[in-house]
Amino acid sequence: MARKKRNKVNPDAVVRQLMNIVGEREVLYLKEDLISYECDGYTMTKGMPKAVVFVKNTEHVSQVVRCLNRERIPYIARGAGTGLSGGATPLGGEVIISLVRMKRMLHLDLDNRKAVIEPGFVNLKLTQSISDKGYYYAPDPSSQYACTIGGNVAENSGGAHCLKYGVTTNHILGLEIVLPNGEVVEIGEDGIPDQPGYDLLGLLTGSEGTLGIVTKITVKVLKNPEGKKTVLAYYDDINDASQAVSEIIAAGIIPAALEMMDSIAIEGVESAAYPVGHPLDIAAFLLIEVDGIAAGIDDQIDEILTVCKHNNVREVKVAKDEAERGLWWANRKMGFGAMGAISPDYLVQDGVIPRTRLPEVLIRIAEISKKYDLRIANIFHAGDGNLHPLILFDARIPGESERAAKAGSECLKVCADVGGSITGEHGVGIEKSAEMRFIFSDEEMAAQTNIRAVFNPDDLLNPGKLFPQPGRCVEVKQG
Amino acid sequence: MNAEENRLAAMLNSEKNDTPCQTKTLGNFLWDDLPDATKWADCVHCGMCLEACPTYQETGEEQHSPRGRVYLIKAVAEGKIDVNDAFSKPVFDCLDCRACETACPADVQVGGLIEEARGQIRQAMPLTGFSGALSKTALQGFFPNQKRMKTLGGLMRFYQKSGMQRVARKTGLLNVMPKHLKEMEAILPDVGKPVLGRYPEVVPAEGETKQRVGMLAGCIMDVMFSDVNEATVRVLTHNGFEVGLPKEQGCCGALHVHAGDRETGKRLAKRNMEAFKDYDKVLVNAAGCGCALKEYHELFRNDPDMLPLAEEFSAKVEDVSKFLYDNDFKRPKSEVKTKITYHDACHLAHGQGVRFEPRQLLKDIPGVEMVDLPDADRCCGSAGIYNLTHPEMAGALLDRKIDDVPDDVEMISMGNPGCMLQIAMGVQKHGRSEKVVHTVQLLDWAYEKDKEKARKSIES
Repeated sequence: MARKKRNKVNPDAVVRQLMNIVGEREVLYLKEDLISYECDGYTMTKGMPKAVVFVKNTEHVSQVVRCLNRERIPYIARGAGTGLSGGATPLGGEVIISLVRMKRMLHLDLDNRKAVIEPGFVNLKLTQSISDKGYYYAPDPSSQYACTIGGNVAENSGGAHCLKYGVTTNHILGLEIVLPNGEVVEIGEDGIPDQPGYDLLGLLTGSEGTLGIVTKITVKVLKNPEGKKTVLAYYDDINDASQAVSEIIAAGIIPAALEMMDSIAIEGVESAAYPVGHPLDIAAFLLIEVDGIAAGIDDQIDEILTVCKHNNVREVKVAKDEAERGLWWANRKMGFGAMGAISPDYLVQDGVIPRTRLPEVLIRIAEISKKYDLRIANIFHAGDGNLHPLILFDARIPGESERAAKAGSECLKVCADVGGSITGEHGVGIEKSAEMRFIFSDEEMAAQTNIRAVFNPDDLLNPGKLFPQPGRCVEVKQG
Repeated sequence: MNAEENRLAAMLNSEKNDTPCQTKTLGNFLWDDLPDATKWADCVHCGMCLEACPTYQETGEEQHSPRGRVYLIKAVAEGKIDVNDAFSKPVFDCLDCRACETACPADVQVGGLIEEARGQIRQAMPLTGFSGALSKTALQGFFPNQKRMKTLGGLMRFYQKSGMQRVARKTGLLNVMPKHLKEMEAILPDVGKPVLGRYPEVVPAEGETKQRVGMLAGCIMDVMFSDVNEATVRVLTHNGFEVGLPKEQGCCGALHVHAGDRETGKRLAKRNMEAFKDYDKVLVNAAGCGCALKEYHELFRNDPDMLPLAEEFSAKVEDVSKFLYDNDFKRPKSEVKTKITYHDACHLAHGQGVRFEPRQLLKDIPGVEMVDLPDADRCCGSAGIYNLTHPEMAGALLDRKIDDVPDDVEMISMGNPGCMLQIAMGVQKHGRSEKVVHTVQLLDWAYEKDKEKARKSIES
């Protein structure tokens, strides 16, 4: 076999312009270098970008955006690419603006409990960098080991501990944004969360990269809770587990986290990197954490134990030390990736339901599983009703991906039908844009796309995301 | 794995295994010894590995992350891209440090996959020019050949003892060498004489024999760090183990497998399997070698005759620190007063899951004060011969490693000769004074003090 040389592909005029802005080595344009950017953490839809540009500062972003506007080339902002709805996935021909090298902390002001960071700052690193001073950053998506806070802002990410502390939008104090015309604007004033006028911070957070590119973020940091205790409860009947969840909330306790996993999900995490030794014949477990002022914690734990027992728990225990607590959480947080140990591919859904409807929703999901002949695991932020059905499939078997996508859509329909929503924290992206019709009328969606048009009139910024699109008005140039 | 998966895996494997001499291909992987499709089937693209990867931390580029590399390898297997330079770069820029395997929720064997892909690349694009010649000389000419390694060791001893080293350093003769080689020359340890051949093939235990164990002397370890090998033999025999040093043993082949030369790797594997066939336990004091020996079965994945033998051999292999800990090593009574930190060699921590035992060994020596090294299991950049082939990335990682070493420690301990050379180079480059030691050496010093005391008490 003859030695294969690198295909001689010369950068085109646009790529050369981008190189002039950020430097030659900061632009990828060869097929082999681009192919790993054809999807993010959501792998059902893939598209080749035209190029990937690594920016180092706000000025770079602004210039790159201006250049692409001039050339009428669509573009996408990307962080770590751990998103689960295809928000950073190209449809084909977009330029990806990678923000991962903008990862500095610009300012830390513990007296006023805030930090200013660049968008590529990794979520967990923020907590790690201030924990020795007794502070942390609350939103903790399970991908926090790798995901960037810029991406968290785009998706308004949640996490296990958002039940008590709120999602990303509740922790953002200010943003610097590059608008699609290249203009740099600042939203939010230093430490003043509620400004007169429209809540633009609220609008931008969770806009899935369709309104602007975030280049600087002011976040709240919180003082570490004085005490923290974690309970693990095993149930033989998932109805008992859900009833316990409702009773805990009804008792007036607001746990920091209240998580549930069903038997298939347990099979996954127990075959993966952080097995806890959960019994494999239970129907579900609850992972409940209480934190706050040390004085009240034991009372709350007692009350939780009482509720669990009252609801026919098989076994319930309190983590004996930080190591055990850490293992329980690692086991839970690796839940999605762990599916790789029991299935070649998975599709995670992100429905929201009223807590009390869980038993019937689970029955209907089991029916969907049967109908499409695909196993479905359930990981559930039970406290706030955010359900993650994980549809297990094998993309190598013809037709199975399509079946998985249909099953996923039906799961969301169930959530919408019981008065819930199609996404709690993963965003709509490419994945759920069609399902927006389950909860919004055409008029409601038009109202939202009108807002988009104010910021992003030509729809060059992350086109084809968030809303079902009849057709693209921009010609996509293939890379 | 569920039943469906098993069926698929069996199907995929049977496709590849039905003829011993492969004629099958897998997408654009067209060469012998095809990569293992079941390894990338475990990856669900979650990205938990990203921040664990030193090359991703440095570049932020997806194709230089574990997830990206797995994706590229899969893309070749799916026929989407070719085996060419642009594919080769990310695959060869990987340190093979396995930090991603620790981070991975689904236990994807990224390291094995990288090595298999490198095997394909080297068959598709044989190395030519200077790098080809260098690789041939070092990997095929020296490491596997004990005599030449001994000669090399002898030459280095001569270089150091004859005064040539002093002359070379003084006259600036070294300035003609590339910077990273010059830095390496500066820290060459005092080369002793190899243990293999000099020691008897069987070194008896002190006192009653608890068990007989085989010991891999290694190639670099035995030439550059024969004192570590001597210490290892002393520590093992002191603990009641009879140590076998079969002279037919040789280089483990790790460097060859890392470089994509799987055929030489297999040849060396067979030699060691034969050399140690009479032993139930094979102990290794070099993490990289230990990891390679433990993975010999991966090399013979497509060879149904050799596979069971390799699996049996790999099961016998253990790192010396874990073996000592698990076998209730003698706690030394004498003090070794020192403040020390411990660096996790990648192929010990990530490759073999050995983290606790070497630390405990050190902590159980009276007088030793252990200080944590932040991010102790992040690669130091040595990574076999990575520091020779990728000096820039290796240098960046070394700088970070040395920056992390707490100011007030006197020693840095670890369990791998590659890391010892690399970190010693870092210490020198940064003008610091920490002594770089192998974990077993510290134990050896403590035992020697014990023995000295015992002798004195008998004399008096």
